[in-house]
Amino acid sequence: MTAEASTALLQMTGIVKTFPGVRALDGVDLTVRAGEVHCLLGQNGAGKSTLIKVLAGAHQPDEGEIRWQGEKTALSTPVAALRMGVATMYQELDLIPGLSVADNIFLGHERARWGFTKDRQARRQATALLKRLGHPEIPPDREVGDLSAAGQQLVSMARALAHDAKLIVMDEPTAALAADEVTNLFRVVADLTAEGVAVVYISHRLEEIREIGHRVTVLKDGRTVARDLGADTPTSELVALMSGKRVETVYPNREESTVDSSREILKVEKLGRDDEFADVNFTVHAGEILGIAGLVGAGRSEILETIFGARKADEGTVYVNGKKLKNGDVRSAVDAGVGLAPEERKSQALLMDMSVAQNVTLASMRSYSSFGFTDRAKELRDSRAKLEDLDLRPADPRRNVSTLSGGNQQKAVVARWLVHGCRVLLLDEPTRGVDVGARAELYRLIRELAADGVALVLVSSEMPEVLGLADRVLVLRDGRVIHEAPADELTEADVLDMVMEGSAA
Amino acid sequence: MTDLPNSLARRGFLIGGAAVGAGALLTACTSNEPPAAQNNGGGANVAAGQGDNAQPGKMVTIGFSAPAADHGWIAAITKNAKAQADKFKADVTLKPTEGTNDPSQQIAQVETLINQKVDVLVILPMDGKQLTSVGQSAMDKGIPVINLDRIFDTPLAYRTWIGGDNYRMGVNAGNYIAGEMKKKGISNPIIGEIAGIDSLPLTQDRSRGFKDALAKAGFQVGPRQAAEFTVETGERATANLLQAAPKLDALWNHDDDQGIGVMAAISAANRKEFIMVGGAGSRNMIDKIKADTDVIKATVLYSPSMASSAIALARLLGQAKGMGDLAEHEIPASITTYSAVVTKENADRYADVAFDS
Amino acid sequence: MTQLDPAAKRDTDVPEAPAPRANRGFSVDMRLASLFGVLVLLILIGWITSPDNFLTGSNLDTILRLAAPSGVVAVGMTFVIISGGIDLSVGSVVGLASVWMTTLATQAYGPFVMVVCGLAVGLGAGLVNGVLIAYGRMVAFIATLAMYISARGLAEYLSNKQTQVVRDQDFLTFFRGEFLGVPTLVWILAIVVVAGWILLNRTTFGRRTFAVGGNPEATRLAGINVKRHIAMVYGLAGLLAGVTAVMLAARTTAGSSTNGMFYELDAIAAVVIGGTALTGGRGTMVGTLIGVLIFTLITNIFVQNNLPTEVQNIAKGAIIVIAVLLQFRTNRARSTT
Repeated sequence: MTAEASTALLQMTGIVKTFPGVRALDGVDLTVRAGEVHCLLGQNGAGKSTLIKVLAGAHQPDEGEIRWQGEKTALSTPVAALRMGVATMYQELDLIPGLSVADNIFLGHERARWGFTKDRQARRQATALLKRLGHPEIPPDREVGDLSAAGQQLVSMARALAHDAKLIVMDEPTAALAADEVTNLFRVVADLTAEGVAVVYISHRLEEIREIGHRVTVLKDGRTVARDLGADTPTSELVALMSGKRVETVYPNREESTVDSSREILKVEKLGRDDEFADVNFTVHAGEILGIAGLVGAGRSEILETIFGARKADEGTVYVNGKKLKNGDVRSAVDAGVGLAPEERKSQALLMDMSVAQNVTLASMRSYSSFGFTDRAKELRDSRAKLEDLDLRPADPRRNVSTLSGGNQQKAVVARWLVHGCRVLLLDEPTRGVDVGARAELYRLIRELAADGVALVLVSSEMPEVLGLADRVLVLRDGRVIHEAPADELTEADVLDMVMEGSAA
Repeated sequence: MTDLPNSLARRGFLIGGAAVGAGALLTACTSNEPPAAQNNGGGANVAAGQGDNAQPGKMVTIGFSAPAADHGWIAAITKNAKAQADKFKADVTLKPTEGTNDPSQQIAQVETLINQKVDVLVILPMDGKQLTSVGQSAMDKGIPVINLDRIFDTPLAYRTWIGGDNYRMGVNAGNYIAGEMKKKGISNPIIGEIAGIDSLPLTQDRSRGFKDALAKAGFQVGPRQAAEFTVETGERATANLLQAAPKLDALWNHDDDQGIGVMAAISAANRKEFIMVGGAGSRNMIDKIKADTDVIKATVLYSPSMASSAIALARLLGQAKGMGDLAEHEIPASITTYSAVVTKENADRYADVAFDS
Repeated sequence: MTQLDPAAKRDTDVPEAPAPRANRGFSVDMRLASLFGVLVLLILIGWITSPDNFLTGSNLDTILRLAAPSGVVAVGMTFVIISGGIDLSVGSVVGLASVWMTTLATQAYGPFVMVVCGLAVGLGAGLVNGVLIAYGRMVAFIATLAMYISARGLAEYLSNKQTQVVRDQDFLTFFRGEFLGVPTLVWILAIVVVAGWILLNRTTFGRRTFAVGGNPEATRLAGINVKRHIAMVYGLAGLLAGVTAVMLAARTTAGSSTNGMFYELDAIAAVVIGGTALTGGRGTMVGTLIGVLIFTLITNIFVQNNLPTEVQNIAKGAIIVIAVLLQFRTNRARSTT
């Protein structure tokens, strides 16, 4: 036994976990010492969530060894993990909206005697825990579903504390928190570690890791690529480890514009929806990419969905090729050649259990059927051609769309609108959940579409993406356009400044 | 059928006085009755037939098809048919089909029987309209059809129809109640009615007969509720109806199957001030009428013994015989059983046709 | 990576403004109050249309006695629906249990064995449902649909489709009798509803039932044996169907394969009227009781006025729609305020 293993609270070696068709964990090593904050880094899909579930006893690893305080152990069920002293705060999933705050905190280890719950005691202890987290004002008998995201996060945290765990796993605990809340959380984490509790901390914010982390382990593609780094490891090195590429190469560089300013395709006039956005005006020409920058909640997705007719505008008009679209009517938008690749691909765009071909032809059923019978041969032929155009891999239209990677699923959505012959494509966070390599391809694809004369509107939370791809950029704040400029006249810092103004200043 | 010796022979046993066919029911042999009114063991298997017509003749294969026995009455129909065939086992082979409540499946079953070249068919259709065509096709192929109870759309689809008389059931119930009221000297009686499933024509016929008979006596139907031929719905409808009518003079319940529930509700409400009349003629009710300790004083028959008669008729058809007592050489084209009123006085005579609900 | 961090800026006013006494009790009470209003309205209608007979002790007796069996089934259904499931089989299980406990063989052992037999058959059928759903991973709708069909079939087979009259006088005397002037059946309903309320609101079992219905995965991750819990919930529903079978056998003095017909639909309707979400995770026992009473009252009022059955059914359908719409509105009002 090495010296390290003897002091380690938890030691995982060579953990492998496969799901049908996916090798989610492919040899993960993780060592956590008592009293430390151990940060776990990795991109989406690197295997962090699976690893957490293994730690929580929710998934059983196929291979590998887990040692707890030096003893070999199996985390066979969530109960076993909790009993051993591992509590987990999930990013989602772990609260029951219909139950009260106190009920949620003590779910699974209710304060009870002979099966009868002791509600007063539970409420008192819940209040104590929330007080420790700096929020004594959250009423313990409030329904959790009525709390804000941040409030729910606090309940989730209180729940982990309630277990008196030796190891607490925190999955992006600050995602829903404001700055002062984060400070509070860090204080609690510091208290915990001072008491000898270990914390496995997952966050995308590298500055947080520097603030409270002791050591860092980096995952990529289900493997541990670096372990036990110091918290002061330079950002570029961490990013390089996570992506396997240098940051600079990820985002597209500006290229020759393909705008045909003589052909105005999409025109939006005074568009507005109560409480969401107001007075939005812009035009997009053939071959032009219009970027929309702004925070989540600024009304970006809402604007796209209103143009598409999925939401009904309270004021204003949308024209495509000079023709007015019927308000709140998706059909009219689709017929005019508008396509939308929504933010939530899986729930809003794709039929996950159907083939790629069926997904691609969904919007164009009329041209693939006669007298109500589908022409399957034509469907396969056209889909295959389009898949090859888009370099969607594997280019097999019969495959189930759920087996594709995120990037290829996005291509399938784009293919749907191209098959339909769309002239306006609205892209909402097209690269969300898409890995770095596939992003580059999507960028290239978006460019090519523009070059073919399609008018594109691009919404993205990633500034370099908007600035690198778009010809012109609208900056949105609280549902209003506060700035419009050619992309090459803007810098990331400018835009950040504008969107944060008010809240940051 | 038209040869002289045969018909002469028939004249002969007219004098013998043995009744066969529908009339035979009333004096039928009861030898294969189970001893007591047990509901789990055997049932009331009515089987008639004696006299010269009962002498074994030519072998006859009878095909039998009825709906699934989800109700005491239908169960008794099937049982009675089998018992009657058993009685004639010297010259009758019965080919019963599995009961079904799906008309299309019943059609298929009858077609199978036709293909098996049975001599006579006895059919109680799930739905008379839907089975008319298959009845007609059997007739066209020369297989006589005895249509039991639920009538086909056209007489061309059956050789003989035998069934009950729902209208007269209501009339007889109404007449009995009117008579009792007059006997008691009640001039303006409150008369309740617990009907069966209201959407069925048979329920509508019964209610119409009841209403007509009461009207003739100058009375009218008071509170009326429909149940669904089950014990539970009978109980529920009656419990509510008794609340709506704090005082009743008479109550007619269409169906003795649901009657158990009706009686349960009456005893729960502890009501004794009225007389009750049942319908169909279950053993349970006839026993109670005989005992005369409950409110039930009579029941009007709609007896499943008609199935026994149908088999007897089928046998005679197959052997080309007529009905002994009648002058006709042929079996009549239509026989309607009589909805007799069973009371304490005559209950013993009807014990054999009672069925287990 | 410079990401505009979405949530960080949006939710600056983090937890809800501390509403001093605002909790879920309020909205639930509003909903129950409106339901209670419907009940009172029906009583008024009954009283006005039938002033002599409606508000009498014996009519109240009748209404409660009629509500008793369906009420007991509905209590079980409340647990099942809150746990996110559905049980289509309860009516058939009532029929099966009522037949099994009234066969000559069972009746020969006396009233105690009859009751135990009825309960055991119900519990057994419920556990079969539960095991198929929890461990066999069958969809509740399908598993209980299968039980719905086969339990009724078995009941018909056992009874030979005949009505089995209860001959045991002790059984009838006890269950058809009264205690302190209240019918035994109504006592049973009261005990089941009160016990059901305590089980749902004051025990870990109830708490976990809400949790399983609200978010089964989260409940599993909280270290609760979700499968065993689901099996127990269906077992409970089956047990209560067995209780109902005993009550029906007493009320109708007979066991029959037709007993309990359509009870599942009435129970689901009462539970939904009572404000329990079909999606699981939310519900109240008091609401269910009111739902059952509303249904029983409607029938009673229509019979009091000598109106035919079909009109009753139209009214019942309308009540379901109105009750659910009403709840939508109170829900929406709550989420916007």
